[in-house]
Amino acid sequence: MSERLGFEHVTKVYESAGADFVAFDDITLEASPSEFLAIVGPSGCGKSTLLKMAAGLIPPTKGKVQLGGNTVSAPPPGVIYLFQQYAKSLFAWRTVIDNVMFPLEGAPRSQRAELRARCEDYLRQVGLSGFENSYPWQLSGGMQQRVAIARALAADPQVLLLDEPFSAVDALTRMELQTLVLQLWERRKFTAILVTHDVEEAIFLADRVAVLSARPTSLKEIIDVGLPRPRDQLATREDPRFLKLRHHLTTSLLAKGSGHVVAA
Amino acid sequence: MSTIGTIGEISRTGARTNRAAQLIGVRLYGLLLILVLLSLWELSARLGWVVSAYWPPVTAILRAAVGELAGGDMLDALASTLRRAAIGYIVGSVVGVVLGILLGKSRVLRLALLPLIEIIRPIPTPAVIPPLILFLGVDDALKIFIVSLASFFPVFTNTISGVAAIDDTLIQTARTFRIGWLRTLVSVVLPATLPAVTAGLRTATSLTLVVAVLAEMIAGSSGMGYYLVQMQYALRPDLMYAAVLYLAIVGYCLNRAFIVLEARFVPWIGKT
Repeated sequence: MSERLGFEHVTKVYESAGADFVAFDDITLEASPSEFLAIVGPSGCGKSTLLKMAAGLIPPTKGKVQLGGNTVSAPPPGVIYLFQQYAKSLFAWRTVIDNVMFPLEGAPRSQRAELRARCEDYLRQVGLSGFENSYPWQLSGGMQQRVAIARALAADPQVLLLDEPFSAVDALTRMELQTLVLQLWERRKFTAILVTHDVEEAIFLADRVAVLSARPTSLKEIIDVGLPRPRDQLATREDPRFLKLRHHLTTSLLAKGSGHVVAA
Repeated sequence: MSTIGTIGEISRTGARTNRAAQLIGVRLYGLLLILVLLSLWELSARLGWVVSAYWPPVTAILRAAVGELAGGDMLDALASTLRRAAIGYIVGSVVGVVLGILLGKSRVLRLALLPLIEIIRPIPTPAVIPPLILFLGVDDALKIFIVSLASFFPVFTNTISGVAAIDDTLIQTARTFRIGWLRTLVSVVLPATLPAVTAGLRTATSLTLVVAVLAEMIAGSSGMGYYLVQMQYALRPDLMYAAVLYLAIVGYCLNRAFIVLEARFVPWIGKT
């Protein structure tokens, strides 16, 4: 199950002493149900803020975020945010399985055993069987992010918001995690919105890539990726279309000023 | 007291069973120094290097200490000191944790209460004993209050800064899973603050004995502080040193117990 999530003319202005600071201005963008949408942009352009608005964690100054038919004003059910800083998002005082169980603890006691079995299965899906009773800080960075992913799955996401989730792990682990997220997405068919500054990651994962400009941030362009699925870390990345998209997007991100794009 | 415990803990974390023998050897060095110093003390008293009525040989002190086990005032004094210290410690710590979390979470409370607390905090605790005697008398109420006051501050300041230092990501994680504020408080804020609370509790532990004994020296007619002063007046240095010895043992045991409990209940300290 998945939902449509749309940004409608959202603007974020931070009030600071004297001058207001416009994080981004009038962004309209939509992810269809079960789509994998990537948002790329230079650092400091407010990508994470945009994603936190979608999660209902930060309100927009103007405009609105629409989920299904409703306006998002608080964290909506089924919209789960996956943080870049997995180590700060996991609960150090809980074992791996208890971290994954966290979203389900409101459930009646009678369902506990069944839910626990389900969470053990999520851990199996992210390749962490046998680590149920470890603590997050006993695991490597990549494994910790897997725990965070399993915990997100436990909340049964219709929309999964990924905030540079692979930027803090080494290159090899990053590829493994990308493949894992793609597998889970293909299996569960949630709507996925990924924020990243890694152009290759965006192309590899997404159906469409939205490009944001540097500040004042606006939506520069949206490109269709159109590469066949399932994607493969070697075949996809060596596909001439992949390289062409990478060239185009990199040029677009490196270009100074907004709006003007050098064609690939 | 606390330093000895901590150093022991550090050398132990790196230890594995195959290094156990080596470890005992390392520990023996420290013990050896203590034994050498005690022997020097013994000899200096026995051989007349130090000629003083207040310098009994160690064996005389130990004999007095053991003698008190069979019956005497000292263990009663120790028990009443520990009882007051424990009650004061618990009261001060609970108030410290509760206020620390409330003020850490609420800006309004912070603005209202923090200036008052900051003004009281720098006052040396013993300085308020004489005025407090006028209101609370010289018995339990005074000493329990003074101990609570002394343990309140380290617990409170550590808790409030622990709450302030909670990473926003942690709170937002609870929000994205739509966890209500009460459960967020109990199952996220509280455990996330626990390492800081523990640090405060640890400081408070060593302070409580200090302050309890001190208060008993100044006022009242019971407890280890009073006993020490009485033995000084009575020219019984053996019992005086024996009392100090018992306090040292108790302090050491409290610190060891704290380390064990900490490792058992807050194993994630320093891991995040």
